[in-house]
Amino acid sequence: MVEVFAVASGKGGTGKTTSTVALGMALSDRYDVTVVDADTGMANLLFHAGLSDAETTLHDVLADEAPVEAATYDRFGLTVVPCGTSLDGFRDADPDRLRDVVAALAEDTDIILLDSPPALDSRTAVLPIVLADRIVVVLQPTIPAISDGLKVQEYATTYDTDVAGLLFNKIRESESIEQVSEKTERYFDGPTLAAVPESERAREARRAGRPLLAHAPECEAATAYRAAAESLTVRDGAAADAADRFQSAVIPESL
Amino acid sequence: MKLPRGRLDKSRVVTDPRDTLADVLDRELTGYAVFESQETLLLDGEGRGVMTFSDGVPVLVYHTGTDRGGPPALADLAVPGPYHVSLYTLDAADLESAHEAADLRVSPGMPAERLGGDPALADSTRRAAPDERLSAMGDGDAEAPEDGTADQSAVEAFLDDAEKIEAIKQQARSEARERAQEWDF
Repeated sequence: MVEVFAVASGKGGTGKTTSTVALGMALSDRYDVTVVDADTGMANLLFHAGLSDAETTLHDVLADEAPVEAATYDRFGLTVVPCGTSLDGFRDADPDRLRDVVAALAEDTDIILLDSPPALDSRTAVLPIVLADRIVVVLQPTIPAISDGLKVQEYATTYDTDVAGLLFNKIRESESIEQVSEKTERYFDGPTLAAVPESERAREARRAGRPLLAHAPECEAATAYRAAAESLTVRDGAAADAADRFQSAVIPESL
Repeated sequence: MKLPRGRLDKSRVVTDPRDTLADVLDRELTGYAVFESQETLLLDGEGRGVMTFSDGVPVLVYHTGTDRGGPPALADLAVPGPYHVSLYTLDAADLESAHEAADLRVSPGMPAERLGGDPALADSTRRAAPDERLSAMGDGDAEAPEDGTADQSAVEAFLDDAEKIEAIKQQARSEARERAQEWDF
């Protein structure tokens, strides 16, 4: 069984990487989870997972200089594939190899979470959404975040990728999110998985290079992420053809 | 909303209204900005959004296409960029009578927070706002002046505009189809 989720947002700063790692850790209670930093131009998963000194990263794999196993690390109950931060690494990486990476990882895990670039302006930025079975859209209750989130959804569904749900993030204490999330849901193909409060703990965790769920597992934000993971029903994919499925992931021919 | 013409200070195309808000705050502009969407596909593309400022802090918002003011006008203004933005400077005295229109007001941080999607810029804008703006904004808007509840009204007004959202979605779909070919997936 394997299902691939792209954790996406149209806009930067929504807390996408924090959310990817938190969802991954919460899901790892029930599943074998692999988290991949697919934001190859602005990688930061490594800083969230205590891997800032990782020697081999996804960049090396995408440059065909290392096998994917060399860039996987077991951290916090997850399999983590970090990406490097050097410009050279980005330049030498062939984004198309991400298909093979996902296909290889898919053979040996239940869930793959792709931390996706917060943009839709290039092939590299959109590829994770194309490869994924479903997306989780990370939103903030602002007009640009919701508007960009809608665009991400439309790109995804155009490319035959479904919507698993919405994650409202960084909600301030004074904000009442119910009405906004209810109205937002009307336009999205998935439910609100959780509304995660803005959290000083999340900032501390990031500074400490630890995932939020390891740093402050009992805080409100961590609890919200666990609730989100709980409400995510993971679909059974066919393990046997996983490799095929991702290697041949293309835009539907009906376009 | 009637405004004296003012002196044209800047006229340019921006992709994100946030940049204009940051620029205006930075230069403590007193006057107004006219936002004109370059996107003709969208319904509100025809109207223009007008936002007034005192010392860089937003005061009123009005949209000529929908004839709405205040938070709903911010939602009307929110179309995918680019925008053509013209900034006009005025003397504070010239804005006094226009600024009496309480129904067109927005709280100081709302445009940056909800239209710009930049909480840090919203915080700086609130810090730059005079105290009476921060305490007076509750009137007729929501119980608390600068909290998220009051600010949400712009987001909700945006979400109430089903036609505009459908247009945004449709535009994204056609963009996605075009690019699939361009990118040769």
